[in-house]
Amino acid sequence: MPLVGAIVADRLVKHYGPRPAVRGVSFSIQQGEVVGLLGPNGSGKSTIIRILTGYLPPSGGAAWIQGLDVAEEPLAIRRDIGYVPEDAPIYDSMRVGEFLRFMAEIKGVSGKAARRAVGSTCERLALAPVFKVGIGKLSRGYRQRVAIAQALLSDPPILVFDEPTNALDAYQVIAIRELIRSFAGERTVLVASHVLTEIEKIATRVMILLDGTLLTADALAETRHAPSFRLRIAGPRPGVVAALGKVRGVLSADVDASASANTYVVATDSRPEIAADLARAVVDQGFSLIELTDVKPDLERVFLDLTQRTVEARAA
Amino acid sequence: MRSFWALLKKEEMALFTSPIGYVMVSAFLVITGYTFTLTLFLTHTPTLTHVFVQMYSLLLLTVPIITMRLVAEERRLRTLEMLLTSPVTEASVVLAKFLASMSLVLIMVLLSGVYALALAALGAPDWGPIFSGYIGLLLLGAALVSVGLLTSALVNNQVIAALLSLSVFLLFWIIDYFGWLLPDPFNALFVNLSLLVHFRPFATGSLFLSDAGYFISVALLGLFFSVRALARR
Repeated sequence: MPLVGAIVADRLVKHYGPRPAVRGVSFSIQQGEVVGLLGPNGSGKSTIIRILTGYLPPSGGAAWIQGLDVAEEPLAIRRDIGYVPEDAPIYDSMRVGEFLRFMAEIKGVSGKAARRAVGSTCERLALAPVFKVGIGKLSRGYRQRVAIAQALLSDPPILVFDEPTNALDAYQVIAIRELIRSFAGERTVLVASHVLTEIEKIATRVMILLDGTLLTADALAETRHAPSFRLRIAGPRPGVVAALGKVRGVLSADVDASASANTYVVATDSRPEIAADLARAVVDQGFSLIELTDVKPDLERVFLDLTQRTVEARAA
Repeated sequence: MRSFWALLKKEEMALFTSPIGYVMVSAFLVITGYTFTLTLFLTHTPTLTHVFVQMYSLLLLTVPIITMRLVAEERRLRTLEMLLTSPVTEASVVLAKFLASMSLVLIMVLLSGVYALALAALGAPDWGPIFSGYIGLLLLGAALVSVGLLTSALVNNQVIAALLSLSVFLLFWIIDYFGWLLPDPFNALFVNLSLLVHFRPFATGSLFLSDAGYFISVALLGLFFSVRALARR
């Protein structure tokens, strides 16, 4: 096992027929981390989660949960994971209390312990008002809370959420987000989502996935390490863009569509002297530098840059 | 073990809280009751052989309806994902579904025991063929339920699952007709695959280990491949 952590994936590969869904993904998640797995629809997030939870066997590579091989000890790893699948697929014909009792029993919690576990999770997720209501009659928010409640029943050290805020209203999104954040430090949490703003608010570390390939295991670190600059420059636009683009370490230089016509945004690598180089390049070309501001790139910028670069590299 | 009982209870609840189970049992008893009464009044013979043969046909038609939703519905609603990411084995899920469906078959068959009691009240029936007939029906039911469970585990659509198992049952009902047309040794093979060929001795009071072995083998093979089908995701 080359990587260490509560959740470890080592060169995971999954094919659906001839189509590769996951292509050699490796990462590790440490105890107590809340990690987001961000990627567009169809990027392989759910497939990775299904492999980690033992639902799907990988076509190649391996995964470990709390040091146990997922393929070799599927039952043991399932005891350690509380899993909330996408769209909360739970039994419509059951009542909330009945369903939670059933899930507690199949997770090995029975008798008084089951009653206690059901009671405390219902209290934590405010499910008491719907305890005797049929699941088929619940709103989406309550339904999602029931799905989360079943994941907590056996008090697992690892929680895995697949698109936990899908199709919820704003209040429900905030409630679920706060709940997931409350697990930080207490449990290891993996949250897969295609909603960038949600992941940014929930996770302490974000992994980005595109077409089954992991582009970065820590996108938030890239927002700290790859600064970009906003420059106001008086000069002809093509000349300015060309001058900025020639500076070593510039990843992209373009007009900032959200600001005035003279404003440019330059994404760079992490070289410390790059701001001075940019200023020199502008002045050397005879343009007037009005303003140069250090802009910390947000997750959206990193996501777009990474995915765009990958798409361009593949096209090339 | 506790998780298995929870699974079994859930399956029983699903079966007996929907109207389908009650409709099946009622239809089964009304049709066999009609045949029983007609046979008794026409022949004045205290036998259930005709009823057993009709129960055989009715089981072939009703079991696909009982089993069609077992896995296909869970796969379609994705509750199977919730179930199989919990610490339960595929074998325990299959066994719970099998036993729950068998309990419905058992209820249908046992309730028809009132016909035997009626015969006992009206005359002196030969109990041998009656007991063997019931044993045959239960063995047949086990074989049919396990094949129905397998087809439900193979497809996502419960109607297709029902049609598929019904087709398999009908094929194995009449497969001996093809056998008679084939040369040796294929004729014996095809004839011995027939459900009716193995059920008829039970209905007429003959107990052969080979007939019981046939139904038990089909049931075990169906369960084995159902577990495999569930594990293949």
